[in-house]
Amino acid sequence: MILEVFDPRVGGVRTRLRLETLPLTVGRGYGNDLILDDPYVDARHARIALDDDTGALVVEDLGSLNGLALPGDGSRAARVVAGPGAEVRLGRTVLRFRHPDDAVPPALPDNPVAPEPASAPVPWISSLWVRLGVPAAALAAVCAQSWLGNFERSASGDVFSGALAFAALVSVWAGIWAVAGRVVVHRFHFLGHLAVASAGVLAGLAATLAEAWSSFLSPDNPITGSLSVVVWVALTTALVAGHLSLASSLPDRRRWRAGLVTAAVLVAVSGAMVVASDEPFSDVPEFAGVLKPVPAAWIPTGAPEDLGRMAAELKEEVDALAEEE
Amino acid sequence: MHLPDARHRGLRTALLAVAVLIAGPLTAQENRTAASAVFRRYADQVVKIQVVESGSAAKATIGSGFFVSPAGHVVTNYHVVSKLVHDPGRYRAELVDASGQTRRVALLAIDVVHDLAVLHTGLRPRRHFALGAGALAQGNRLYSLGHPSDLGLSIVEGTYNGLLRHTLYPRIHFTGSINPGMSGGPTLAADGRVVGVNVSTYGEQMSFLVPVDRAAALVSRALAPGYRPPSSLLAEVGRQVRANQDVYLRELFTGTSKTVELGRYRVVTEPAPFFRCWADARRGREQPYEAVDHKCSTDDYLFIAGDQQSGVVGLTHELVSTRTLNPARFFALYTSIFAADNTPAGQEEHVTSWRCGTRNVRNATTPLRAVLCLRRYRKLGELYDAVLKVAVLGHRDSGLVSTLTLSGVSYENVGRLTGRYLERITWR
Repeated sequence: MILEVFDPRVGGVRTRLRLETLPLTVGRGYGNDLILDDPYVDARHARIALDDDTGALVVEDLGSLNGLALPGDGSRAARVVAGPGAEVRLGRTVLRFRHPDDAVPPALPDNPVAPEPASAPVPWISSLWVRLGVPAAALAAVCAQSWLGNFERSASGDVFSGALAFAALVSVWAGIWAVAGRVVVHRFHFLGHLAVASAGVLAGLAATLAEAWSSFLSPDNPITGSLSVVVWVALTTALVAGHLSLASSLPDRRRWRAGLVTAAVLVAVSGAMVVASDEPFSDVPEFAGVLKPVPAAWIPTGAPEDLGRMAAELKEEVDALAEEE
Repeated sequence: MHLPDARHRGLRTALLAVAVLIAGPLTAQENRTAASAVFRRYADQVVKIQVVESGSAAKATIGSGFFVSPAGHVVTNYHVVSKLVHDPGRYRAELVDASGQTRRVALLAIDVVHDLAVLHTGLRPRRHFALGAGALAQGNRLYSLGHPSDLGLSIVEGTYNGLLRHTLYPRIHFTGSINPGMSGGPTLAADGRVVGVNVSTYGEQMSFLVPVDRAAALVSRALAPGYRPPSSLLAEVGRQVRANQDVYLRELFTGTSKTVELGRYRVVTEPAPFFRCWADARRGREQPYEAVDHKCSTDDYLFIAGDQQSGVVGLTHELVSTRTLNPARFFALYTSIFAADNTPAGQEEHVTSWRCGTRNVRNATTPLRAVLCLRRYRKLGELYDAVLKVAVLGHRDSGLVSTLTLSGVSYENVGRLTGRYLERITWR
């Protein structure tokens, strides 16, 4: 039987040990047969031995603080039978048992340009094309947006400063995540974080564009407003979950939960700020001013009387405002 | 000394804002004699009016006034005593006579439309002005009396230049230097007849008077047997403003309104004789588009308080077109023109915040993006400011943004005028 010592923080196998002389002791102390460098592991934590009655390989807890945890549900056990493929967690370290005949993946061709698939935990980001292509696409989108939003004769200055601002912001953002990832899982993944952040920018631009069009085609529509909150919550959730997939060893479910919690906190904070602060007096009106080049026949319109009905609603609102004092 | 009048210089006419007094060294001897005779004869019938902040007992506004009855009634401008109207708990009005005696006075009647007020003083003046009509010819010499900048009673000589044309409210054009503090004082003909009440100025030597018949009408109303001052002067201001605008706004933008062609659009211009219109074009090698502005506005406004006017109707058309910008970039420009704020300023004390709504609508000829913004006056009853902003849609390389601004109008007028305005923007 082969014992693999697996560190989830690093995402790889630390060491492998052929189990020949049994029993052997496991712990942080130097007197053990297998020494684990894990602060959550006791000095003498467990013993691996053959069961006297059945002859099966077992892991026994030696009265440690954190005990033996079964993978999956994390429940504690004093004694775990260790067949081929079995796993048991001691502190933050996982011991995995393997049969000597277990198959291993074929060797990789020795090509220095090709990325190492094994080291990239998220499939879509594993391709170098994606890691470079997504930021490039986002940069192109930012440039296109600043060019189309500009109506001076020479737009190059605006486009250049827009591109520069995007590059600087996304790099700093990806850099912060990369440093955090280095601390937590000992991996930078800077290009991966760059791709995640760029994908977020792309999605944000698309959402803004969709909002502008819906505000043009259907102004003052309450559904558009609430839909846009949902879209931005989803975007924030995906962005945080995407970064966590590179910068943490959290399982899928907990990454998405963390993203959702972040988005919910942002929504709650901004909502609370709106509720808490009285609307300040302003003599500058706010309205949905966006215009789009659409042929006359395609624009959904109402009758001029619609404006009269709207005016009646506005009157009620300002009458209420005047009463407030 | 605080003279709220000076704040209105940006408007068409300033209520007796600063004008440079040029002493005429070549004035004819006989006129100098006439001026001194007028002064000697009538000075004691002109008084100083001051509005005093009760807490600090300091002057907030000063102006002038003159006796019009043996019972001591005094005529002055509404804008001299407007603080008293808006905040009677905080201010009081006082009269200072020729001998320097101060006496508290009461506000009896107001005419906010013509900027006049009648005060009750309880004094028994030895003499008073009789208000009556009389013929005048352009160029007749006039003498204006008042307290410029609180420097003591002064007399200013000038000439009569007739009534202003194209104004909503009658004004006599007086070529002479009336200065702040002279508001509410009388302007006399050489024979001592009151011609008008000093009210405003527009730069050097251009001054305006309220014709005496308006003052006579208010005085006879205030002195009629059975007249009782309104219980709330502020509500009376609102009532007068509404009654006045119902007259002049009724026919605005009806079928016979004048129109002008801007590019391929046809829009309203000069909706009434009391509007003034300007136009200008912006083209430049630096900008890849052309813009033409066409603006009309009423020349007059009603003074309601130090920083609040009413009755201004304005319309603006901005035609914008391009040969070089693609549709997406042109519409970025069009959006920025449409979204620019050109609404009148306002103070929280007087008006609420704006509330706006947006709709895409279609009139007989074209689809339009229409934004209507509304805010209400806090103290004057049902009076509103409204801004209707419209953009013509459906063209790739040209557009028209048209704005109608109504200030201090009733909700009925907002509905009526915006509805008509929307129908009058056409595309051919």
